[in-house]
Amino acid sequence: MRPRAISRVLLILATVLMLPMMQPATAQTPKALVETLGDKAIRQLTGNVARPEREARFRSLLNDGFDVHAIGRFTLGRYWHQANPTQQAEYLKLFEKFIVQAYAARFAEYSGEQFRVVGERADGNVVVVQSEVFKPGNPPAKVDWRVQGHKIVDVIVEGISMAITQRSEFAAVIQRGGGNIDALLTALRQKTGGA
Amino acid sequence: MTALSITATLRATSRAWRRMGAIALACALLFAAGTAMPALAQDAGDEDPLEDINRAVYEFNRVLDGLLLKPAAMIYRGLLPEEVRDGVRNVLDNLQAPVIAANDLMQGETRRAQVTLERFAINTTVGGLGIFDVAKQHGRYKHAEDFGQTLAVWGVGGGPYLYLPVLGPSNPRDLAGLVVDSFVIDPWTHIARANDADWFTYTRFGLNILDTRARTIEMLDDIERNQIDPYSFIRTTSRQRRDNEILNGRPAAAGR
Repeated sequence: MRPRAISRVLLILATVLMLPMMQPATAQTPKALVETLGDKAIRQLTGNVARPEREARFRSLLNDGFDVHAIGRFTLGRYWHQANPTQQAEYLKLFEKFIVQAYAARFAEYSGEQFRVVGERADGNVVVVQSEVFKPGNPPAKVDWRVQGHKIVDVIVEGISMAITQRSEFAAVIQRGGGNIDALLTALRQKTGGA
Repeated sequence: MTALSITATLRATSRAWRRMGAIALACALLFAAGTAMPALAQDAGDEDPLEDINRAVYEFNRVLDGLLLKPAAMIYRGLLPEEVRDGVRNVLDNLQAPVIAANDLMQGETRRAQVTLERFAINTTVGGLGIFDVAKQHGRYKHAEDFGQTLAVWGVGGGPYLYLPVLGPSNPRDLAGLVVDSFVIDPWTHIARANDADWFTYTRFGLNILDTRARTIEMLDDIERNQIDPYSFIRTTSRQRRDNEILNGRPAAAGR
């Protein structure tokens, strides 16, 4: 009986040790993805961090959690198909840079808000993870995260979609530039300090 | 004091109700014309048939803001400690309670109307004429509501996007709503007028703008610094925020 007991212990041990390995990072549930990202963002991006370091960390979190390519395509809207491959490639590069610059800085103004995931719901093939950002004793701000295929494709803060907002702004710049995508590329280049 | 105010509110509300029919009809006609504008080659939600005028007003506001409003807001913020400014904000919010409650009711939101009236009763008394938001500590958080939203709930479309001098993003429906809220529903305006104290109404209006500007200094600086076209950024975000307010934060029926 003893050898059998030992082998059972070994089996359980092996299983426990193996479990984390058997669960690849991509198999994270949408909820866990958002929770982990939110915790990491508060830990790594807030407080006294120099700007280049904050931007580097933000870039890494952005690419871990978000489908930057899909978001970039969405925000260019119908102009994506009008762009040639060179323009598309440059746009995607500038888009990432623009997002990093604009959004990383906003974590510098963090002042002790807390973050919690409160639920999730399905919306077509997208899972919407619902969260709240709040300061104790104050009403929470609602933040929804749209997750598609293990990556975040949009963040909606109190009903304001970051992807739709960016798409709208980019479209305005292109239209005012006479429908030319180069108008947007020039504006993005200027804003991000050169490609 | 409170009972008197609520009576005044109810009286103002019933008076408002009678005028409402005519105003709603006028608004509906105005917006039917507005929505009949030819569709432009723009994404849904980005329509802006008056863009040239709006952008001119936007630039006008920027100059006015740089010369007057922002410096005044910074002086206001520099002179008064946060606690005092929060008190000012709380008093202004408390004065808005009758308008919010009336619109809660007109939208059939009895729960929210109750919260608004309880907040008003608690903050006007225990909160010292609204200086302290005591109701918040009892889980009764403030919410905004206005006649523009009520019209939207009644099915009135917004009409073309308007960028107003000083006030900023709006549309004909919300502008009409603001007029109804300020001059028909709001009891204090009537009380002030009846007592030859219009200074009260002007002071309140001015303080509202000053305090709001003081609270948005960083946010607007951020938009000017980080966005490539602040005008369209403000247009789309204010529209989305408005849609969300109209739905009271509930998710829209269909996905996008």
